[in-house]
Amino acid sequence: MPRLLLIEDDRETAGEIMAELADRGYEVDWAASGIDGLDKARAGTADVMVVDRLLPEVDGLTIIEAARQEQVRTPVLVLSALGAVDERVRGLRAGGDDYLTKPFAIAELVARIEALLRRPAETLGTVLRVGPLELDLLTRNATRGNRTIALLPREFRLLEYMMRRKDQLLTRAMLFEEVWNYKFVPQSNLVDVHIGRLRRKVDQANEPPMIRSIRGEGFILHAPA
Amino acid sequence: MRLPDFLRTTTFRWTLAVSAAFAVCIVPMFGLVYWQTSGYATAMVDRLDTDEVNTIKDATPARAVDELDRHLRVDPLRVKLGGLFSPGGERIAGNIESLPPALAADGAAQTVSLMRIDSAGREDQFARAIARRLPDGRTLVIARKFDDLRRIEASVRNALAIGLIPALCLGLAVGTLLSVRAQRRLDEVTGKIRRIMAGNLRERLPTRGVNDPFDRQAVLVNGMLDEIQTLVENLAGVGDDIAHDLRTPLTRLRVSLERARQRAGSLDELRTSVDQAIARLDQSLAIITALLRIGAIEQSRRQAGFAAVDLADLVREVGELYEPIAEDKGLVFAIEAKDMPAVRGDRDLLFESVANLVDNAVKFTPAGGRVDVTLFGRGDDAVVRVRDSGPGIDAKEHDLVGRRFYRLDKSRGSPGLGLGLSLVNAIAKLHGFRFSISRGPGCVAEIAASRQSRENGAPPHEARPRDRVEAEAHGCM
Repeated sequence: MPRLLLIEDDRETAGEIMAELADRGYEVDWAASGIDGLDKARAGTADVMVVDRLLPEVDGLTIIEAARQEQVRTPVLVLSALGAVDERVRGLRAGGDDYLTKPFAIAELVARIEALLRRPAETLGTVLRVGPLELDLLTRNATRGNRTIALLPREFRLLEYMMRRKDQLLTRAMLFEEVWNYKFVPQSNLVDVHIGRLRRKVDQANEPPMIRSIRGEGFILHAPA
Repeated sequence: MRLPDFLRTTTFRWTLAVSAAFAVCIVPMFGLVYWQTSGYATAMVDRLDTDEVNTIKDATPARAVDELDRHLRVDPLRVKLGGLFSPGGERIAGNIESLPPALAADGAAQTVSLMRIDSAGREDQFARAIARRLPDGRTLVIARKFDDLRRIEASVRNALAIGLIPALCLGLAVGTLLSVRAQRRLDEVTGKIRRIMAGNLRERLPTRGVNDPFDRQAVLVNGMLDEIQTLVENLAGVGDDIAHDLRTPLTRLRVSLERARQRAGSLDELRTSVDQAIARLDQSLAIITALLRIGAIEQSRRQAGFAAVDLADLVREVGELYEPIAEDKGLVFAIEAKDMPAVRGDRDLLFESVANLVDNAVKFTPAGGRVDVTLFGRGDDAVVRVRDSGPGIDAKEHDLVGRRFYRLDKSRGSPGLGLGLSLVNAIAKLHGFRFSISRGPGCVAEIAASRQSRENGAPPHEARPRDRVEAEAHGCM
């Protein structure tokens, strides 16, 4: 049962987040003020922390910096209404591991918390494997069973990212940030189209599908059942 | 007492200062003229006196009186003076009443005052005199009336009066005229500025079409006022635009929620309605997010994070990002990017603006159409052009497209928030670039990066040549 420390001063937002996370089997410790949050963060007992930036008394970034100075390595997701790019950079520089701008979809928050809890799989050697799917990072070859998959460079990066995070929900925003490295939200359904292309290459008609779309949330890559 | 306004102007004070400097130079000059001229005149008189005194002295002592009389006889102007005095100082001959005590015998010529006595009576004369002691002990004095010095003095004084005083008066007059003119101009400008301050933003400073500094500054200030007016008008429009663009999704949201509450018969139906509601809320939130972002970019003054940006690389990357979606939509999508020297800028923002133009082009071009993204050189500029075969826009709407929330009515039915080009505009402005739109067949959007520093848009503190990006969009959205 993962323990999560939530530092958020808005009671209603905190309530929604706690309810959702409790449903998903998290044990949530809630700190409603900066000082309370600072104490709990420095104790370092949580598996993951969600920290709001604008808090009474102590700023969210100060809490993260203080915790990092105490050698607390707990992954931190920064929440903020400040969405400007340099605010994001500041949040990550202070020691945050991910940054989510308010307002956010609860599914997006959960997906990112889970991504923080499950660090990407370390590769043994240079080959990633998910079921029959193999990705050779050295030769840059992709195969599913005996079939070779021809991938464009960006598709290769997309598949690599998804294979390192198999069985995890990956939202569009996460993919866009991590694979394309862009900070803005495109108006068109760009990610869906790129995933669609990749899926046609990975999952052919006669094969059990490996890339699954979760409506309104994102995508999951998993080994075929 | 308060001085009249024109007397307190800088122009008038400068004129006064220049006049004073002029006088300070002129007076010594006249002094020099006086000194030189009087010296010359004195030397002339002294030579005449010396010649005469020597002539008489060289004659035998017995003839001295005769020689003196001969000298004094022809003197119609009554300027010649002479006298022979006994060793005791009594007058023996000549027309000088007494031996002036200040006059040293056998010395150089001196200026003295002498009493002339002759048939016309006594007269005090100002003269240059020279005295010589004769071998027999008598003293011979030869002098010449010397009014020249006074005349020279008088004429120099007159010349000063005639020349300098009118010159000073003229200076004062010109100074007054100039300062009155400057004051009038200033009053005019002050009046206009008061009206602008009172809220009349359409007022402009008067210009005369002459290229004087005053005019140049007025033109500059007017340019500033244009920009302020545009900003204020945009701002005024924004409230309405926000209300309109937010009301649409919120109204739809309200209607669908109301209907769902009344009609939804199953959990699935209710879920569908809630999904729709969430989508509409997301749309409203996206509008607010985009608005805040544009505001942040517009207010941002930082160009510190600027670095070299490879436009060819950037264009190819945008192309790669949008190629699948264009293909899915059945568009011909062509990227052509020749390598160019790098420009300075924020790569993420420039990428976003090009992506926005391409996003629009792909969105508003009907299936079977064509989108071309090209990078090419034009003069010193590197131009990114996004051209499509979409519906295009009217010429009168070119200026409006960069405004927040502006979306052409013909595309109201299409997805999109009408903020894309506003964002491109804000990013272009942050870089000191120009954004404009003109009509083409379909739509052509251009971003041009110049390698030369330009006066316009370059912050004064930044000395290094800066790149300029111009963005023009023709006929899209």
